[in-house]
Amino acid sequence: MLVTLALVVLFPFYWMTITSFKSEEQMRSVVSMFWPKPIVTENYHQLLSKTDFAAWYGNSVFVAVSSTLVATSVGTIGAYALARLRFLGRGFMASATLITYLVPPSILFIPLYAQMRNLGLANSLAGLIAAYPSFTVPFVTWLLMGYFESIPEELEEAAMIDGATRFGAFYRIVLPLSAPGVLAAGLYAFTQAWNEFLYALVFITDGRLRTLPVGLASFITGDVYGWGYLMAGAVLTTLPVIAAYIYLQKYMVEGLTAGGVKG
Amino acid sequence: MAISTAQLPGELTNRPGRVGLKRVLGPDYRMAYLFITPIVLLVLSLVAYPFTYAIYLSMTHKLVGLPPVFVGFENYIRLTWDGFFQRAVVNSFIFTFGSVGFKLVLGVVMALVLTANIRWRSFWTGVLLIPWVAPTVVSALNFLWIFDGSLGVLNYVLVRVLGVLPQGLGWLSEPGLAMASVVAVNIWRGFPFFGISFLAGMKAIPAELYEAAEVDGASVVQRFRHITLPGIRNIMIIVVLLSTIWTFNDFQIIYILTKGGPGGTTMVMPVFTYETAFGAQRLGEAIAVALYLLPALAVTIMVLARYMRKGRKA
Repeated sequence: MLVTLALVVLFPFYWMTITSFKSEEQMRSVVSMFWPKPIVTENYHQLLSKTDFAAWYGNSVFVAVSSTLVATSVGTIGAYALARLRFLGRGFMASATLITYLVPPSILFIPLYAQMRNLGLANSLAGLIAAYPSFTVPFVTWLLMGYFESIPEELEEAAMIDGATRFGAFYRIVLPLSAPGVLAAGLYAFTQAWNEFLYALVFITDGRLRTLPVGLASFITGDVYGWGYLMAGAVLTTLPVIAAYIYLQKYMVEGLTAGGVKG
Repeated sequence: MAISTAQLPGELTNRPGRVGLKRVLGPDYRMAYLFITPIVLLVLSLVAYPFTYAIYLSMTHKLVGLPPVFVGFENYIRLTWDGFFQRAVVNSFIFTFGSVGFKLVLGVVMALVLTANIRWRSFWTGVLLIPWVAPTVVSALNFLWIFDGSLGVLNYVLVRVLGVLPQGLGWLSEPGLAMASVVAVNIWRGFPFFGISFLAGMKAIPAELYEAAEVDGASVVQRFRHITLPGIRNIMIIVVLLSTIWTFNDFQIIYILTKGGPGGTTMVMPVFTYETAFGAQRLGEAIAVALYLLPALAVTIMVLARYMRKGRKA
């Protein structure tokens, strides 16, 4: 059972990888189906020299890193306020944040596009960086609220009795203790921004300004798909996400189960 | 929402003006409002304002680049009687409930498999979660290639390796098959989230319950029905509702695999919205498509948000 599930899960990635090392010839004549013979790297050369792939990669890194930084900083302090501080409007804001997280992009993409056009941010990476917090910030906030709530309040109380300010207690006690949670939240924000498709498809019209998902998808508009270099692009697009995930799997799985659902 | 004033630090009592404000706004109001302002601004500018604007636009005739003309509910009324729109609504429900149902079953299976006594549990958990982490566009492109009618590996395996089919099928190009294919891809991508959530829920069920049931002679099936299922009931509700919203609004998989074809058989509402807005350039009508089921979405979100907050407090 386990092995069946794992095979079903992994097969598309295996298939993507071996396709990226096959020549056009090998694919057309349906030879060496399950292992490329010989292994060719021509697809990767083509992808990097004849398409805008490298530029898209840069765009994706820029957009994903920027929006991760915004989401993590805004989300961390916001989550702390919502989880710990006592103020008028806290319950309302906690609900508003959660509801915002649940509003699907397919409702927001047209008005956001109109808004970016009015601000002169359509067709620019700045427009994407401005729009992505709409889904990354609520998610990070919701995830970290759960994390902060799990830290014993007595730690901060003790620090404040010893003379720390409220901010000092947050900065010196809570923040270091929450580093794994903040890291997991940041990684999720990065993954979400890296994978985002709809806003990038709608906002960006200039071919060179595309992000990776939209760029890859643009390879299939012609009648003849270059499956080899498309799959090479897919491999390179998946790598950073999977690498981060393997490296930090423990935190990410914990973060997901703590943030998405609990109870 | 509870504002507790019981724990005011002592130093505050000798500042009467502040105490008054603190009594109204809460003891930590200054730091709290400072910390919360960025989120408030983001929610207002990126969600609340566009959302309100969307409701207005849906009641206009708006062409790209031209000012909107207010027409009231005309877009909604016209859509109600539009055959293409009706089909998109029906397709969206088929796509969503077909996907969510299978994801639920597979998710339970995945969680049960991972709670069983297996070696390298965290490794397998990690492997099974990969479709959830990988970019959806990449997965959709992978399946576009796997499903390919002439060179795709699925037909190759079924025809040449296993010999169960006389000739290859057009998984995405035959009207009777395309919906099943896109549903399969959505299930593939989404079931790990169900599995990992149920796994977390099952781990939280005290082992004594199972031991006691075993002593009382309950079978494996009875233990699953009377201990496991009730134990993860709340998580199930949350995950099913979350996934229903996500699946109903999934754009990428269908946009990449079929663009709503062949002959509209996989046209769902988000793709219909996109086509109306950027194919036909009718923004007002497109937003009416996106907002048509808003009442149902709003109810789902409210119920879900309530469960999610309740789950946190427990």
